[in-house]
Amino acid sequence: MVIAAWTLAARLENGKSNALHRCMIRPILAAEFINHTAPTPRGSKGFVRLQQVIVCFVAAVCATLAGIPAAGQTRANPGAAAEKSATPGQFPPYRAARTPDGKPDLNGIWQAFVTADVDIQDHDAQAGPHPDVMGAYGAWPGGQGIVEGGEIPYKPEALAKKKENAGKRMVVNITSDPHRHDTGDPELKCYRPGVPRANYMPFPFQIIETPHVIVMAYEYARALRTIYMDNDKTVAADPPADSWMGWSHGHFEGDTLVVDSKGFVPYSWFDRAGDYHSDALHVVERYTPVSPYHIMYEATIEDPNVFTRPWKMTFPLYRRMEKNIQLVDFNCTEFVLDFLYGQYSKKTEK
Amino acid sequence: MTRRPAISSAIFAIGAAVVIFVPLSAAAQSSPAAKAAATTAKQATERNDSGAAAKSQKWVMPRMSDGHPDFSGYWNSLTFTPFERPAKYGNREFLTPDEIKEIFRSGLRGSYEPGAQGSEDRYGGELFNPDSVDYDATTYGLSPWQNGIKPNPRTSLVVDPPDGKVPPLTPEAKARLAAGVRPAGGFPYVVDDHHGGAVVHADNARDLGQNTSCLSQSGGPPMIPAEYNSGIFIAQNPSYILIETEQGSEFRIVPLDGGPHPSSNIHQWHGDSRGHWEGDTLVVETTNLRPDHTYRNGDPKTQKIIEYFTRTSADTIEYKFTVDDPSTWTRPWSAIIPMTASMGPLFEYDCSENNNDAVNILAGARASEKKAAEGKPISQK
Repeated sequence: MVIAAWTLAARLENGKSNALHRCMIRPILAAEFINHTAPTPRGSKGFVRLQQVIVCFVAAVCATLAGIPAAGQTRANPGAAAEKSATPGQFPPYRAARTPDGKPDLNGIWQAFVTADVDIQDHDAQAGPHPDVMGAYGAWPGGQGIVEGGEIPYKPEALAKKKENAGKRMVVNITSDPHRHDTGDPELKCYRPGVPRANYMPFPFQIIETPHVIVMAYEYARALRTIYMDNDKTVAADPPADSWMGWSHGHFEGDTLVVDSKGFVPYSWFDRAGDYHSDALHVVERYTPVSPYHIMYEATIEDPNVFTRPWKMTFPLYRRMEKNIQLVDFNCTEFVLDFLYGQYSKKTEK
Repeated sequence: MTRRPAISSAIFAIGAAVVIFVPLSAAAQSSPAAKAAATTAKQATERNDSGAAAKSQKWVMPRMSDGHPDFSGYWNSLTFTPFERPAKYGNREFLTPDEIKEIFRSGLRGSYEPGAQGSEDRYGGELFNPDSVDYDATTYGLSPWQNGIKPNPRTSLVVDPPDGKVPPLTPEAKARLAAGVRPAGGFPYVVDDHHGGAVVHADNARDLGQNTSCLSQSGGPPMIPAEYNSGIFIAQNPSYILIETEQGSEFRIVPLDGGPHPSSNIHQWHGDSRGHWEGDTLVVETTNLRPDHTYRNGDPKTQKIIEYFTRTSADTIEYKFTVDDPSTWTRPWSAIIPMTASMGPLFEYDCSENNNDAVNILAGARASEKKAAEGKPISQK
């Protein structure tokens, strides 16, 4: 019965009935219900689920009697729904798998495939620095931006600072005081990328979900975030001090992991184009699993020192599917030692 | 000398101490981490008692949903126990109760904030004020008892061979090291000038060693405690265990799926770690170490580090590791370093982002050279 309802509901994927649409999700619950051995008192979760299963079944039967072509008439071959090619930006309804303690399961190694690390706004491909020696190795890809609405609502003076940043993104002068952060893209120096940039660096990151915390471990620069879950009273609500990866508390809203982060140092950037923030940065991220292989990511950026209003960025994260996938080292500090401290090093003859 | 003053961590620690202690008194014990921390606070009052271990008989092993022991939470491996056994103990593995007490007391005193010396009188014979939060300027963080340190009944951390000493190097290893392998810690860059001072010899950041240049600090394996920032954070689910060490915020992600190590073409700063369960002990085997970052300059082709994590009480993990490297040591050897429950969380340790040491030491070396060239050598006393 459940299988029949599911099959019919799948065929009616593009049908107009919301009730039918929900049937896509219900079979999973129905399966849970069937596995229930305890009695099901009226009004309990199990009873509601049973009702839903019945509604789905009845709806599916009605749809069958009414004739499938009527509901799926835009399609030449109604039986081909499952084989329909995917449409970018659209996912069929999905309920995330659960961890042993019943939370949506976000575990895995994930990676964004946008070019936002170059520029979070629309941008053309470019040669990158030193094409004379780097050739195509050093070129940067073009791409669509990830900023909702396209524009970042900078205050006028902040926009000037962004442009100055971009102009001096490769001007690096490492001192033994905070002036080291005056110019130069932190990525160039292998500093921790901050949030949200860590999530769209061209490197994978791993989510490790546990009953009490969710850890996000980034391959780039070995950056690490611990997200304290569910208003954990053993952890300070407010950041005790500023840090590169921020101070994060999280909770689930349905299947969506909502992470609220603040307490950032004012030195990280959003991209190589000089987009930046102050230490008033407040990021609210939403990680919504939309298939077993995708998470839709959304971040709301708020920083009254730099922007006139909060703004959003959105992009999908993809599950890395290699059988043997694991993070490997990108301890890039090793690669920038001479770059950072060359001015203090002994000059050697060539 | 090789550990970087963790100023940022120090500031964090002060802030954290204040905010964390308050909710503890409210006994918000919604999570194991909270319970562990509360236990730590409670047992702090018993910590001078060398027989404290015997008091945890009611303790029940906390377990994950998959039935395996739960190691998650914050731990600290700070210790007053010498790595190798001092000669005076001979083959004796355990201290007498009086020795345990004395070593622990002198350890607390020795590492205590200078201004608090003599606190024994002030706190009615205790070495600390159990009602306060103390910042220890010598350890850049909470004072040792607040980090959860407990008396260790052993005479040394090395437990095998039975003499408590790291076994001799093989002839092959002696030859390899004599051939001038660059030690992971770097060559000593502060050198005696034979005139009562010292001269810095560091041509570039690599000469400062992997610790001072922020390449690798505490992640191991094995994870060896230092004078400060010996905190360890463990996050665990049925598929993975993540182990973070405080100094440098370094982490390993240990899969528990029984899969094989990657090929020998993959080299990692902290190796490739794979875990499995042997009863209630988590066993983590690490290979694929970098040639320039093996434990004690062992042979990257043969070195294997096997770690054994066993929860032995509400506030202790027995952390044992075995070094198996037949081309470097004449036999495998093992050490046990107790990890005690500690107040979390660990704060981000940004090292390279604020590496003042690299700038100042190298700039100092260049200044010394300039003066020497002018015939006016400077000596750092």
